[in-house]
Amino acid sequence: MIPSIEILIPKNLNEVLGILSNQDKNFKIIAGGTDVVTGLKQESNRFINTEVLVDINRIAEVKGIEKRNGKISIGAASTFTEIYTNPIVSSELPILKKAVATIGSLQIRNRATIAGNFVNNAPCADTVTALLVYNATIEIESTNSKREISLQEFLQGPYKTQLKKDEIVTRINIPVPPKTFVGDFYKLGRRQAVAISRITFAVLMELNGNKINEIKIAAGAVTPIGTRFPELEKYAAGKEANNDFIKSLASKLGEEIIKLTGLRWSSEYKLPVVQQMFYQMLKRITKK
Amino acid sequence: MKKEFSVVGKPIIREDGFDKITGRAKFADDYKFDGMLHAVMLRIPETHAKINSINYSEVENDQAVNSIITFADIPGAKKVGMIKNDQPIFCDEVIVTPGDVLAMLVGEDVARLRLALSKIKVKYTPLQTLTDPRKSLEPDAILIHPELGSNLIIHHPLRKGNIEKGFAESDHILEQTYTTQLIEHAYIEPEAVIAIPLGQNGIKIIGSIQNPFSARRIIAAVVNLPLDKVQVIQAQLGGSFGGKDDTMCILSARAAVAAIKVNRPVKIRYTREESILESYKRHPYILNYKVGFKNNGKIKAMKIDILADGGAYCSMSPFVTWRSVVQATGPYEIENVHTDVRAVYTNNPYTGAMRGFGSPQPIFANESLMDEIALQLGIDPVEVRKINGLKAGSITATGQKLQNHDVNLLTVLDTAAKETDFQNKWKKYKKDKSIIQKYDFTKPVFNDSQFIEPDQLIKKGIGLAASYRGCSLGAEGIDAAACYLSIQNDGSVYLLSGLAENGQGLRTTFSIIVAEELGITTDNIFYLETDTSRVPDSGPTVASRATLMGGGAVKNAAEILRGRLEELIRAEWKLKNSDEIIFHDNKILTTDNRQLTTYKDLCKLATNRGVNLATIGWYKSPNVDWNEHTGQGDAYFTYVYGCQVAEVSVNLGTGEVYLDKITAVHDPGTVINKLGAEGQIYGGVTQGAGYGILEEATTENGLIRELNFDQYLILTAKDIGEIKPIFVEGKEIYGPWGAKSLGEPTLELTAAAISNAVSNALGKRFFSLPLNLEEVLLGKKLRPVEVKRGSLQ
Repeated sequence: MIPSIEILIPKNLNEVLGILSNQDKNFKIIAGGTDVVTGLKQESNRFINTEVLVDINRIAEVKGIEKRNGKISIGAASTFTEIYTNPIVSSELPILKKAVATIGSLQIRNRATIAGNFVNNAPCADTVTALLVYNATIEIESTNSKREISLQEFLQGPYKTQLKKDEIVTRINIPVPPKTFVGDFYKLGRRQAVAISRITFAVLMELNGNKINEIKIAAGAVTPIGTRFPELEKYAAGKEANNDFIKSLASKLGEEIIKLTGLRWSSEYKLPVVQQMFYQMLKRITKK
Repeated sequence: MKKEFSVVGKPIIREDGFDKITGRAKFADDYKFDGMLHAVMLRIPETHAKINSINYSEVENDQAVNSIITFADIPGAKKVGMIKNDQPIFCDEVIVTPGDVLAMLVGEDVARLRLALSKIKVKYTPLQTLTDPRKSLEPDAILIHPELGSNLIIHHPLRKGNIEKGFAESDHILEQTYTTQLIEHAYIEPEAVIAIPLGQNGIKIIGSIQNPFSARRIIAAVVNLPLDKVQVIQAQLGGSFGGKDDTMCILSARAAVAAIKVNRPVKIRYTREESILESYKRHPYILNYKVGFKNNGKIKAMKIDILADGGAYCSMSPFVTWRSVVQATGPYEIENVHTDVRAVYTNNPYTGAMRGFGSPQPIFANESLMDEIALQLGIDPVEVRKINGLKAGSITATGQKLQNHDVNLLTVLDTAAKETDFQNKWKKYKKDKSIIQKYDFTKPVFNDSQFIEPDQLIKKGIGLAASYRGCSLGAEGIDAAACYLSIQNDGSVYLLSGLAENGQGLRTTFSIIVAEELGITTDNIFYLETDTSRVPDSGPTVASRATLMGGGAVKNAAEILRGRLEELIRAEWKLKNSDEIIFHDNKILTTDNRQLTTYKDLCKLATNRGVNLATIGWYKSPNVDWNEHTGQGDAYFTYVYGCQVAEVSVNLGTGEVYLDKITAVHDPGTVINKLGAEGQIYGGVTQGAGYGILEEATTENGLIRELNFDQYLILTAKDIGEIKPIFVEGKEIYGPWGAKSLGEPTLELTAAAISNAVSNALGKRFFSLPLNLEEVLLGKKLRPVEVKRGSLQ
């Protein structure tokens, strides 16, 4: 059950940073609360020592979606519903939009936020693979620093990130992908809604005729954390996207996952499915 | 001539609908009383253990702890049960399953009480556990309840004809073993109850209680009070599905013991985790079927051996498995039947009543088997069922002749087949051999031949299942129900049945029956709060018996009052005894449409003339009989028939089963509330489909892994396609205007129909529920090694 806990409601980013700079207390930032509240309720080790919750829902600096200088900047506390209904996301980031649509239920999407999805860094975080293929970077601030790093770098291990105690993720920046890039997102859960993903992957690629100019591949839930596959991407670049090659690429994804994850109780099911469905996706994309 | 109904059979919105959707409905946990305390449970993280000592010294002086409630505080029965008194209110010497409760702490603040729980020092010795029901009857098996001398809860044998002769006369013999899983009721409202001490007047209980009279009996035994000193009031119930019976009786008894001791109201409110941990579940079955049949499709012999895991307590196991033994052959007339159904004790979570009640398991087995017979003989599933199906005058497996009602099995089967173009689709989708590839886990990386071309990824399938189901309790026990009905002098009406509203819409159904009889509308009727002190004991609200039995009592009451009104009319308007009087549209008319008076004025007149306008209605079932040694007898006084068709798409790459459409054809007798009846089908089919492809409570040494809905998954609205309800209203001499049962039949068929549809799509048969992703793709279940949730790291 949830212990009695102090909640602070700062009005701007500076106030947030000021609060977080106090190293004597255990703070937890709360936005939608879909992880924090359930984590507290379940007495999860990641939440159990929380003394103060810092509510960032009123902070303008971490809200809003805008396009500037060739980048789409998404406020860290944007809810999935805000992202899903945003016209910029709809036209420029269809893979992210598709990933967002698979999250939980409408009620969860109304509250849950994009940074919450990866700051928690669960292996099954639905949007991570989409953000990874878009080369998303994230802005992180504290009272005495401001840095921007790639999402892949930020994610360190299951439920572990680079975020320091006094820091907050403020924005997610995504370079607008050229119109020549096509891609897709796939999620498998045990049911069609309110499902924790068992497999996710995303692909973003540029085709020249039938030749693969460039491809970005990311997978989640089948790997310890959401991850890109640079070797696979290098292997595919410049290749003819014919049926045989697509099959070999899908098999190689299987190999890479085994390398990263080893064989687990669930591998017997997940490995054949991830290869099969990755093949299906590549066939779908290259047919267009 | 069939009478035209005014209200019966029309779609009527449920009387509690508005309160429920606007949040006004008051559930048990919404009740608060001055001075009310809360109780929390003391458990140990073990499955089977001997309790050596419990040291309360650190909480005895804790300000948060008002009282410690233990075994020693129970004034009456220490152990209770629906059938066998084997379940302790508090465990003092031993626990036999993880949900068991040792004691309770009572105080004002739940959080502080939970903290205090952790300071109680329990010394215990873990004991060997028995979690595989197949080992329960082995000679060296540990005994779950040593005082009973055996782990056998019940054995139901059934012998009809000569089984050896039947197999000898068969051209083909087929033998298969099926398994079904443990599942949770998953009612949205966890258990909650409040006990209010009334001093000399006993105790009052308000709770999320499915069967107030069962609860009253258990509470009275535990607190050692006569029945009239135990008043049980049912709050609005947030779902039950058979699940708020034993558990709620025991929780109510615990709350009552505490309330009497501290002389203040005491509330128990479970978290979802506690609810799933302690409440009983649906029985997992292991079913072995051997069937002999002729070249022409006629079944000659069926030998059935069923083992049910009863878990740690007896609960309803003898009755659940009794329904199984009666219905295990399915709705087919078979000359020679030899069935044994056993329920055994284990240290697993105990199992009891759940919507379906011992029918979904054998239906999965026998309806899978029927399809196999059809495939083996090269005929279709409809044909094989028609050859063997029960007809008027057929003799069932228990030797009962089906008569006095429309035996509509073949009608529902034909209606379902025609509606779905079943036979054509089935032939089109049929595969001669399995098209699911075999995966070699030692070679996990795909070779080129393992990839499926996109246009081959999704395969369609169609399957059906049919059943007959005995209505109400049958030979389980006494079967009668009561109702209180009182007309006021302005014509408004109080109505209260001895059966309980569990969300199925009983109050609306009963109001319709009164409205029809008195020629008024349902908004004239006020349904009273369910309270054991206001109406006679009507038995439990189970076995899809409310409309049939409770509705029978309501109709009886309405007929009594109408009779008194008619007598008054005849006297007042000087009509002959043979003159028919019509109550219609709030008016009182003669057959030549002459209005005598209005219903309202008549009620006023009756009051002024001193006519008694209140009564108790009663309905008692006709006799049934049963020989427990041979399994022969008239098990139920009537039956209902149903057939469901599942149309699915199966993803060959993932093992996902998409439920495109379920057509549910049922004969519930006369439909009283069309909207309510359709609602039963939507809900029952969805639950049955979840049983078929998704739901499972898995255990690790008796402890359930899925203790909340993040892990225990049920279907959502997005997981199910169209559900099409079709009613075939057969004639029936019992029940109100021939209305029978619907609630459970809607659930029991769906899993079997889906499994047959998936088999049709893939050319591969499934023997183990649920047909989840791994079962479909790999032909087996995969279990996590770790019990702990990843998110708890």
